[in-house]
Amino acid sequence: MNVEEQIKDILARITRVDKSIISRQSTFKDIKADSLDVVQALVAVEETFGIEIPDEEAQKFQNFGDFVSYVESRVPQKEKV
Amino acid sequence: MGGDYAPEEIVKGAVLAAQKDDVEIFLVGTASVVERELAKHKSITNGSYIHIVGASEFIKENESPVDVIRRKPNCSVAVAAKMVKSGEADALFSAGSSGAAAISAIQFIGMVDGVYRPALVGSLGSFASNTVMVDLGANVDCKPYQFLTFAIAGSVYAKKFLNIADPKIALLSTGSEESKGSDAVREAYSLLKSSGLNFIGNIEGGDILNGKANVIVCDGFVGNVLLKFYESIAGHAQVWTERKLRKYPPLPALARLVFKQLFPATKISSETEKQGGGILWGVDGVVKIAHGASRAPQIANAIESAKEAVKAGVVESFKSELARFNQGGKL
Repeated sequence: MNVEEQIKDILARITRVDKSIISRQSTFKDIKADSLDVVQALVAVEETFGIEIPDEEAQKFQNFGDFVSYVESRVPQKEKV
Repeated sequence: MGGDYAPEEIVKGAVLAAQKDDVEIFLVGTASVVERELAKHKSITNGSYIHIVGASEFIKENESPVDVIRRKPNCSVAVAAKMVKSGEADALFSAGSSGAAAISAIQFIGMVDGVYRPALVGSLGSFASNTVMVDLGANVDCKPYQFLTFAIAGSVYAKKFLNIADPKIALLSTGSEESKGSDAVREAYSLLKSSGLNFIGNIEGGDILNGKANVIVCDGFVGNVLLKFYESIAGHAQVWTERKLRKYPPLPALARLVFKQLFPATKISSETEKQGGGILWGVDGVVKIAHGASRAPQIANAIESAKEAVKAGVVESFKSELARFNQGGKL
């Protein structure tokens, strides 16, 4: 499973929305994620990929695509498959 | 360790609880501060089971409760939640930030499978002693399926604490018809109707106190506004009655006496007062939160009722009730 699908799974599990409605253009508001959902998703993604996402970076995410791109840029190449 | 009167009243309340009950208490907070406070009660705490667990951080008033997760995972309430998760403690009690306690519970203890967020359930006490309301403020914005878990939590509460065998569940709305209410309420109606619970339909505000329903389900915004309005009624009714009777002494003094007798703390919600706060239902462990303004007697009551909740197995009961109604994967 690639990075995008893994993050989509995490976000769908936490916000309890159907993952099919999450696209790269979706904002957290679109999927009715509140601040707690977002923080839980960040922690889960950090644990899954063994990375750290500083608050300053997280605050720049405009949509799901930005979130995925940031994680992809931090995850070692072999895990992106 | 939080609360408007922390650490003095919290420590005093813990000492009271330890004196009257067989309970082991861990006070989690800045060790030196808690030690100093506990030392004031040294003569009476000898031999009782009160321990101090140091926590280097705490959530300040101006901080977001969400900060508990990423910025302050070692704050006192988070440490206490982790102790429940690891089995070192059976229950968590906090009179500090309710949001921080709820978020610590969600993140560090975890939710029961199928439950999205915890809910607060409370008995309406004096005027409707066989009625509980849920959610009383833990969830301001609710998704429709949350109403279903609220109904199940309320149902378990009514069975366990009010001894009602098959509680009647109603959804609070702006009319009795299925089509009434917000989008979330109308969707929740459909879910409750097909849930297999003893759902009697919608009720309106005028039905809250008439005993029509044993469990009234609403979102936390409505529930919290109603709770605070409800708790203020006795005080306002007393003032109004005394004013109306002031031309006829000694009737105002008599009215004051009657109100004092009927509503001791000028609060109707005597159950909440007696239990010192509410349980966060849906968390996979007993978590009790109390008003920030709680004093030692309420703290002691809360600790005692948290122990009762553990003994009564409320979490296990909630889990099995949830499993019974979730066979079709509704949650």
